[in-house]
Amino acid sequence: MKDKQPSFLEAARWPIAFIALLLLAWEGAVRYLGIRSIVLPPPSEIAIVMATRYDLLLTHLWPSLYLTIAGFALSVVGGILVAVLITYSEIMRRGLYPVIVVSQIVPKISIAPLFIVWFGTGTVSSLLLAFLIGFFPMTINSAMGFQSIDEEIHKMARTFMASRWQVFWKIRLPTALPHIFSGMKISVTLAIIGVIVSEFVASQEGIGYLIKLAGGLLDTPLMMAAIAVLSLSGLVLYWIIELAERRTIYWQATAGNLAETGG
Amino acid sequence: MKPDARLQLDARSAPQARDLYAVRVRAIRKVFDELEAIRDVSLDVANGEFISLLGPSGCGKSTLLMMIAGLLFPTSGEVILTDTPVVGPRRDVGVVFQNPVLLPWRSVIDNVLLPIEFLRLPVEEYRARAVELLKMVKLEEFAGALPRQLSGGMRQRASICRALIHDPAILLMDEPFSALDAITRDDMAVELLRIWQATRKTVIFVTHSIREAAFLSDRVLTMGRRPATIIDEVHIDLPRPRHIGMTEEDSFNRYVRHLRKSIEASHEG
Repeated sequence: MKDKQPSFLEAARWPIAFIALLLLAWEGAVRYLGIRSIVLPPPSEIAIVMATRYDLLLTHLWPSLYLTIAGFALSVVGGILVAVLITYSEIMRRGLYPVIVVSQIVPKISIAPLFIVWFGTGTVSSLLLAFLIGFFPMTINSAMGFQSIDEEIHKMARTFMASRWQVFWKIRLPTALPHIFSGMKISVTLAIIGVIVSEFVASQEGIGYLIKLAGGLLDTPLMMAAIAVLSLSGLVLYWIIELAERRTIYWQATAGNLAETGG
Repeated sequence: MKPDARLQLDARSAPQARDLYAVRVRAIRKVFDELEAIRDVSLDVANGEFISLLGPSGCGKSTLLMMIAGLLFPTSGEVILTDTPVVGPRRDVGVVFQNPVLLPWRSVIDNVLLPIEFLRLPVEEYRARAVELLKMVKLEEFAGALPRQLSGGMRQRASICRALIHDPAILLMDEPFSALDAITRDDMAVELLRIWQATRKTVIFVTHSIREAAFLSDRVLTMGRRPATIIDEVHIDLPRPRHIGMTEEDSFNRYVRHLRKSIEASHEG
């Protein structure tokens, strides 16, 4: 069993303190050394840009965010479906699975310009890149989850005449959930990368476009504000998945339950 | 097999009509990868009888039990349960494993009801029965709890309820108490006899504990190692209901000594 899981605030206390310290040091160093804002703006200036130009930032955040979520959702559905195929089909497991694992070597980002050629500069390219990049960890984690079924539990189910379908829904899927959630956490961060890279390559909107634009104008504070907004969005998406995971996988030990049973 | 003639001559032995037998094992042989695991095992278990298969670890007694459960198939010979040959897992059998193998995401009562779902029977109609079974093993307060909130003994009691939920005629138990500590183990043996007394199932109990086998059973079949055969059969003519104090008595210890001797003989031979 796991150790006591501290509450979110308890867990976040030290990292938050560390980040605050880092920002303070950054602010102090920039001011003390007189570093120009075009090279490295202080955190306070970035915060001011975020506060005053929030409409510009939000205008570009929405398309990126929505493509990220859509691409991520596609990779979750696709990944789980392919994982089921791999689990239940001998041919797929022997043929497709190694190919998927080996294809991980291809840096997916390098495919972005190719997608622009095939699908144009619109949303389709961004969506597909986000999907593709998030699909692999999703597939591999889910497949591992579906195959991690306990042999004794499987034997028990067979003595009680469970069908394959029942074994899947009542045993394999719940067993796989922790793996599926780990896959989702990896995929969601990768989906953001996919969208941003696609926007770098060719796009007229989105945070990736804004970062490139601000870079071209040497507006470093705006660029860093865009990066900050993007990071915060990624953090929120990750946190939503984490929250869903804790609620779904209720049977794994948490602090309260352990205290109740004397751990 | 050569049953001990002296012990065979009591009232319970040799039922005549075929349907008196819940389980008949006919000349079973099992070969794994050219290695003979079980050689020529035959046994009959009467309806409502409690028998133990006793033997050292890895002697093939669990393999024999899994063939009766329909999870493994003999290389030759056959298993007949209430007049029909075993061709796979079946409804009239309930199995208790060495580990409780409860699903960690299901409450205790939902774990008990799992076979009902697998057998596509109406779950709601069996809920009351599940509560009754949990009451019988004194777990009714934990019906809504998750398995990890239970002790090892409580989990195994829940798994016994699961094996009984669909009211099978035959209960197969594969070293069900071997993962428990000694004190819990004695309690569980007493508990099991109480359950058996109340439900009158036919029980085949696999164990490597001589005392456990002698205390629980009507009849103990001792199995030798490699390849496994039945080397001894003893009727335990101790009065029922039995209580744990009987394990101190000479009559009980005579059986224990006899069984120990036959196991030791199998090691030498």
